[in-house]
Amino acid sequence: MKRIISAKNAPAAAGPYSHAVEAGGILFVSGQVALDPATGKLINGGIREQTEQALRNIGAILKAAGYSYADVVKSTVLLSNIEDFKTMNEVYSKFFPSDQPARVAYAVKELPLGALIEIEAIAVKSK
Amino acid sequence: MSRLFVLLIVTAMFFWSCNTVSEKHEASERRIITFENTPASRPYSPAVEAGNMLFVSGQIALDPSTGKLIEGGFEEQTRQTLSNLKAVIERAGYKLEDVVRCTVLLTDINNYTPMNRIYMEFFPSDPPARMAFAVRDLPMGALIEIDAIAVKK
Repeated sequence: MKRIISAKNAPAAAGPYSHAVEAGGILFVSGQVALDPATGKLINGGIREQTEQALRNIGAILKAAGYSYADVVKSTVLLSNIEDFKTMNEVYSKFFPSDQPARVAYAVKELPLGALIEIEAIAVKSK
Repeated sequence: MSRLFVLLIVTAMFFWSCNTVSEKHEASERRIITFENTPASRPYSPAVEAGNMLFVSGQIALDPSTGKLIEGGFEEQTRQTLSNLKAVIERAGYKLEDVVRCTVLLTDINNYTPMNRIYMEFFPSDPPARMAFAVRDLPMGALIEIDAIAVKK
């Protein structure tokens, strides 16, 4: 049985996908780019600001599903430029200060809407 | 009247079954898998276990003793990457046979065939589900990165 998550405080999906889907006690959060939830447009700013916004959007979806950042077990970080890896890590570590999720990170050719970063997550509620 | 009664019973049973299902998945034990020499500066764990599922971070061909990318070409990097993946999985008390899914990231799609040949040495039978593709760049200039999800029997 699956549960479709729609978060009021996250930007509307930019295509035919749900914010998140929960099945079998696992929450799959769609890849988030730095869209402003109010305008639905990519925010102004560089990798620092975009990483923050993408992670805030993930947070809004986690919250709407009844989860928190601490429940994230795995994330995927897609960058437009691998040179942004270090700055991304600095911002990322503020959202995941301890017991960090497993992660895979790499640079792709291009991201939707010209974004510099996209982040997806898998969460499982922890005891 | 009796039809309405049956409907009520069926509805009640439906919600009761929903409840039992969600209770079963309420929360699971969490275990962070690390090594003595895992750098604290890295904002990710080598692996995270939730219940009987293990989520393994993307591994590249780092030398476990120096933390630096090994010398050598694609084949050496693939072997080192898979051996690092195996080390994390075994550290968590799992086996390569428990891997259900992998993602293989290459920087050059022409390396697909040599990657498969070495990959098969590590997954000789009943190989996991997999997705493989070429990306623009990998961290630290690596040529290959592999992540995995494993489920304990």
